[in-house]
Amino acid sequence: MEDLTSAPQDVRGADGAADTSDDALLRQFADGDAAAARVLTDRLGPRCFSVAMRMLGNRAEAEDITQDAMMRLWKMAPNWVAGQAKVTTWLYRVTLNLCVDMQRKKRPDRLDDVPEPEDEDPSAVERLQEAARKDALQVALSQLPDRQRQAVILRHIEELPNPDIAGIMGISTEAVESLTARGKRALAAILAGRQDELGYEDG
Amino acid sequence: MNWGTKMAEDEMDLDQLLAKARQTRPDLPDDLAVRIVTDAETVRLDRLKPESSSRRSVWMRMLDGIGGWQSMGGLVAASAAGVWIGWSAPDFLPDPAAIIYPQENSFVVADLGLDALFLEDAE
Repeated sequence: MEDLTSAPQDVRGADGAADTSDDALLRQFADGDAAAARVLTDRLGPRCFSVAMRMLGNRAEAEDITQDAMMRLWKMAPNWVAGQAKVTTWLYRVTLNLCVDMQRKKRPDRLDDVPEPEDEDPSAVERLQEAARKDALQVALSQLPDRQRQAVILRHIEELPNPDIAGIMGISTEAVESLTARGKRALAAILAGRQDELGYEDG
Repeated sequence: MNWGTKMAEDEMDLDQLLAKARQTRPDLPDDLAVRIVTDAETVRLDRLKPESSSRRSVWMRMLDGIGGWQSMGGLVAASAAGVWIGWSAPDFLPDPAAIIYPQENSFVVADLGLDALFLEDAE
């Protein structure tokens, strides 16, 4: 058996498959091609992890969700019908559903996750200010209703086009536009400390 | 500062934060990549592995014993031909039923009345 776990650099996919579609790679994997799994991991794993990180704000949980979502991809591979949908659409949807399930089981207090400043070194302070700004976005995102948060992350952080987001969330593009607009307004208000003025309606 | 200007500034601040978030999307950690590929390999090998004999039904194992589905097809065809020949034998073949039960000695019990049976016993 080929050793795929000896070193991280060995498990990443080869650039030679850059032109191969996700559909084709999934079919190759279903037909027994181990290399196809490495390329798919390289291509889809970071997207999955990035969304999970933004949805959950917790690295360990995001890693678990990513591994779980990719495991579902491997198991689903033989049943995949090429051309019916994008593999990425399927994977984003699974990832978001897993995130929502995890959040329903456990609602952590994200404000406690913001790190405290440790020293007065100017560069360290600068880094901490930057970290605090990033955390501010994460804290604000965590206060959005699920659907608004998903739409904002997919549109404004993952930079997906609205029709793709509509496919992932199972709604119309108009509904995506509405969710992202309301989500952005809500985020701006939360960051400005005006959350009391917001309606938190979802959908 | 009026309300509209304040909102526009908040939105601009948010756009900057989102732009920063886009630029700093996390890479897939190496150890996670290893775990994902290991999972894929486990699934792939599991799929390639033939079903273990213990998980196969008695019927499937019996089928394997007589040569699998292909031999079962031949067996069914031969059985069907046997039934057909028995039911409607060609003229040049002797009637197996006539060999075993010759026509002249045969009679149909249903044609006899109950009295006839008792009379035979009495004789």
